[in-house]
Amino acid sequence: MFIEIGHFAVILALVLSVVGIVSPVLGLKTNRPDWVRIGRQAVTLNFFLVSIGMAAMIYSFLTNDYSVRYVAATSNSKLPIFYKVAGLWGGHEGSLLLWVWILTAYSTLVVWMHWRTQPVTMPYLVSVQSLIMFGFLAMIVFLSNPFERIFPVPLDGKDLNPLLQDPAMVVHPPMLYLGYVGFSIPFAFAMAALFSGRLGEEWIKVTQRWTLFAWMALTTGILMGGYWAYYELGWGGYWGWDPVENASFMPWLVGTAFLHSVMVQEKRKMFKVWNLFLIIVTFSLSLIGTFLVRSGVLSSVHSFATDPGRGLYILVFLSVMLALGFGTLIVRSGKLKSQIELDSIISKESAFLFNNLFFLVAAATVFLVTLYPLLIETLKTAKVSVGPPYYNAVFMPVALGLLLMMGIGPSIAWRKASTDNLKKNFLLPTLIAVIATVAAWLIGIRTVFGMAGALTVSFVASTIFIDFAKISALWARRHEINYLLAFYQAFTNNQRRYAGIVTHIGVLVMVVGIIASTVYQVEKVVPMRIGDTMQLKEYTIRMVGLHEVSGANWTAQEGLFEVYKGEELLTVLRPQKRLYPVSQTPTTEAALYTIHLGHVFLTMPEVGSDSVTVRGLINPLILLVWIGGGIMALGVILNIFRPRMKTP
Amino acid sequence: MIKTWHFVLVIIIAGVLSLFYKGLWGDPRAIPTVLIGTQAPIVSGPEVRTGEMISTGRFQGKVILINFWASWCLECRTEHENLLALNRRFGSNPDFVMLGINYQDREEDARQYLQVNGSNFDHVRDLKGMISIDYGVYGVPETFVIDQKGVIRYKYVGPLVGQAYSYLTESVLQPLLERRPFPSS
Amino acid sequence: MKKNTIIAIFPLILLAAVPLSQSMAATVQEERIDLQMRDIAKTLRCTICQNESIWESQAELAHQMREIIKERLIKGESPDQIRAYFLNRYGDYILLAPQKSGLNWLLWAGPFVLLAGGGLFLYRTLARWVVQAAEEKQEAPPPIDEHLRKRIEAELHSRED
Repeated sequence: MFIEIGHFAVILALVLSVVGIVSPVLGLKTNRPDWVRIGRQAVTLNFFLVSIGMAAMIYSFLTNDYSVRYVAATSNSKLPIFYKVAGLWGGHEGSLLLWVWILTAYSTLVVWMHWRTQPVTMPYLVSVQSLIMFGFLAMIVFLSNPFERIFPVPLDGKDLNPLLQDPAMVVHPPMLYLGYVGFSIPFAFAMAALFSGRLGEEWIKVTQRWTLFAWMALTTGILMGGYWAYYELGWGGYWGWDPVENASFMPWLVGTAFLHSVMVQEKRKMFKVWNLFLIIVTFSLSLIGTFLVRSGVLSSVHSFATDPGRGLYILVFLSVMLALGFGTLIVRSGKLKSQIELDSIISKESAFLFNNLFFLVAAATVFLVTLYPLLIETLKTAKVSVGPPYYNAVFMPVALGLLLMMGIGPSIAWRKASTDNLKKNFLLPTLIAVIATVAAWLIGIRTVFGMAGALTVSFVASTIFIDFAKISALWARRHEINYLLAFYQAFTNNQRRYAGIVTHIGVLVMVVGIIASTVYQVEKVVPMRIGDTMQLKEYTIRMVGLHEVSGANWTAQEGLFEVYKGEELLTVLRPQKRLYPVSQTPTTEAALYTIHLGHVFLTMPEVGSDSVTVRGLINPLILLVWIGGGIMALGVILNIFRPRMKTP
Repeated sequence: MIKTWHFVLVIIIAGVLSLFYKGLWGDPRAIPTVLIGTQAPIVSGPEVRTGEMISTGRFQGKVILINFWASWCLECRTEHENLLALNRRFGSNPDFVMLGINYQDREEDARQYLQVNGSNFDHVRDLKGMISIDYGVYGVPETFVIDQKGVIRYKYVGPLVGQAYSYLTESVLQPLLERRPFPSS
Repeated sequence: MKKNTIIAIFPLILLAAVPLSQSMAATVQEERIDLQMRDIAKTLRCTICQNESIWESQAELAHQMREIIKERLIKGESPDQIRAYFLNRYGDYILLAPQKSGLNWLLWAGPFVLLAGGGLFLYRTLARWVVQAAEEKQEAPPPIDEHLRKRIEAELHSRED
């Protein structure tokens, strides 16, 4: 019964989304404010309706209602409650519902928060958001209906894919969607700006915090996915350049470019068309990401069931959105003329543009490579793969270039950087970077990747340090206070800028983690019996046992491994080879021991009758990858909740 | 006013969309055929049921059909009857020999499979995956046809049923055995 | 007698040392082969898996492929020869880093060409803007007096970067 109510609510939402598209525009054209307001109510009501749909689905999951096809496919009576709820986004139909729900929630928030202050743009925004809603709701209702019943009703569900039965996977998809869908807000504002002709800086100022939030959610979502891959897929890496990973990385790259280049428009009123272009690209890439995952165009670990009909629908919808976005930009941008005021090429304005160039080339590379196999298949009916060895050779240099820009950009002056400014800000960091690189060479870092890393990281780190030191000194002198307080005051006084720097610090920390854990990883795969030992750098690993254990919905072979450093017993690790009987899927559960921000990582890929295969890794400093991610998120939070700028 | 970047943008977007469109109809399982026209690697190993060593070195100058299968492979079951029929039709020809290769399988399972489903030709166990890797096998079932000179002439991925079967018999095996020119694709 | 015993034992010790050093050399050799095998395996795709190299994959086929790499390394084949062996059988699909030939240059050179071309384009555009801005400035009325300008600059300086 509940399911039918939910289903009906979602169908109603589809109808209302049409109202949401049409009525505000009609209201504007015919000058009837009531009609515009109807649009707002439609959006708000849609949030409640889709929420009812969500609630009905969750209810069916919790009550094990296997007459619902989707529940029967992604849940099981033995599944822990935690994962039953997560089952909602464990498959194609349900995750689509979550996508729309997040969209309606965002839209409702935006409409109520900005209705008074943005009366001119709001009607267009409502229309655009409703159009996106319509696209996804129509897909849910007609092609991917999670409310569908089956008959005969199965006795039990087929279970959630065991790989997804993991805390990180419970949070990863919602986070990712908060990011993807979050970009629809600046997108809708940009479209509204284009339609209404209000192409000033207003839309950028209004959407700034929304964009930051979406970016943070996307960043967190991607990193969580990485952490999941790290310990759940069992090969000890966190990023495999899988097409679906790439699909989330592309909007991230362009979104990051957008976050940077809007600052130029705010400060100097330049690059107006460029910023509109960037946000349209960012949101389009979010849609393309959704398309790639669901259409079966690319094979990947994450693909949902493939279905050309569904794929065709998404493609049509995608085409409509792309045509709308870029078409409007092309038609409307002729009227736009940025005031171009540039005093010198050596200035912050151009640093921002070069930053954008690097980000876009990075995004274009990922885009090209993700689609390249498809291109080759179409042109030559041959099959190619492009994997990690390629990215290490091509993407990494571009990424290092970006990193270097991160050192230059924040410290270079607006308008025109004098030689004095350059000397003051960059002479010392350059020296430090050179010294650090030589030092790296001397302590035995000989790989190109490692040395280039040492060079760029030390350069950027020292520019940041000098920046902080200078501003603290200035405030300490001026207000006659101690350095710590001065730093705090200086920081809060221009929190927008310094919160950004905090995010940059997070990036640096992450880069150190990435380089250390890739270049200095030690990895061994050996067969072992009880009593055998394996040496991993300074750690001795001794297998002491192998027994059966079981959980709520799985059984496992669990190995016992003592980890020694010299004579000292550090810990006992218990990697498992699990079997989820319902879906007959085996998984490898890694066991981790954290030491000095790194991991001793053990998995048992194969378990025989008397011997097991053990994969042992030392991943030095790998935790820095996620600590860095945390610092990046912290920087964004500080940015979103910044105090108003005071006059010193 | 139309500018250059408008053109570039439209072309790129149109290109990407048409690529996606093409991609929708592509078969993600389509597999390239690289070995065709090259000298076939020699196959040798124990027969599944008798354990007797078999090597294709013995069959020089004959047309050899090699079929990779496994007991756990459901699609292999659908083509099994056709394989038996194939050997009934061509098996009497002294120029023809047929060989099954048991791929990634347990010996008991393979033996039982043959016992249940019957078989009228020999099957070699692929002990360490050497044979299937030598032939670049992506999955089972896969079928190869080798001509009298020992060159791989035809490869088919998937079960030999319906059109695939009649194409193999009429357009590949028959012409090869009669030493007629063989359609290249 | 003693001397003789020592003299007699000495070659025996040496003899014992031979297999010992051999076995030590063997383990060193084995580790080297394992490392080489890993490097090669990481560049080959597990053809039956989804986006995994044969090093990462736990599939039986990947395991057998790793064994083949090892055997061929022991036989003295070079990594490129081994990759060629797999390439000839499975086609381009098995290489995780596409060959540097033909259309693949789009992948290998594309990003750098884009970076260089984009950089050049950007530099030229910026240079044009600078010239434009300078021209407009000349037409514009004379700026505020020097004293005020210095004060504003000092103020700006203290507020941010």
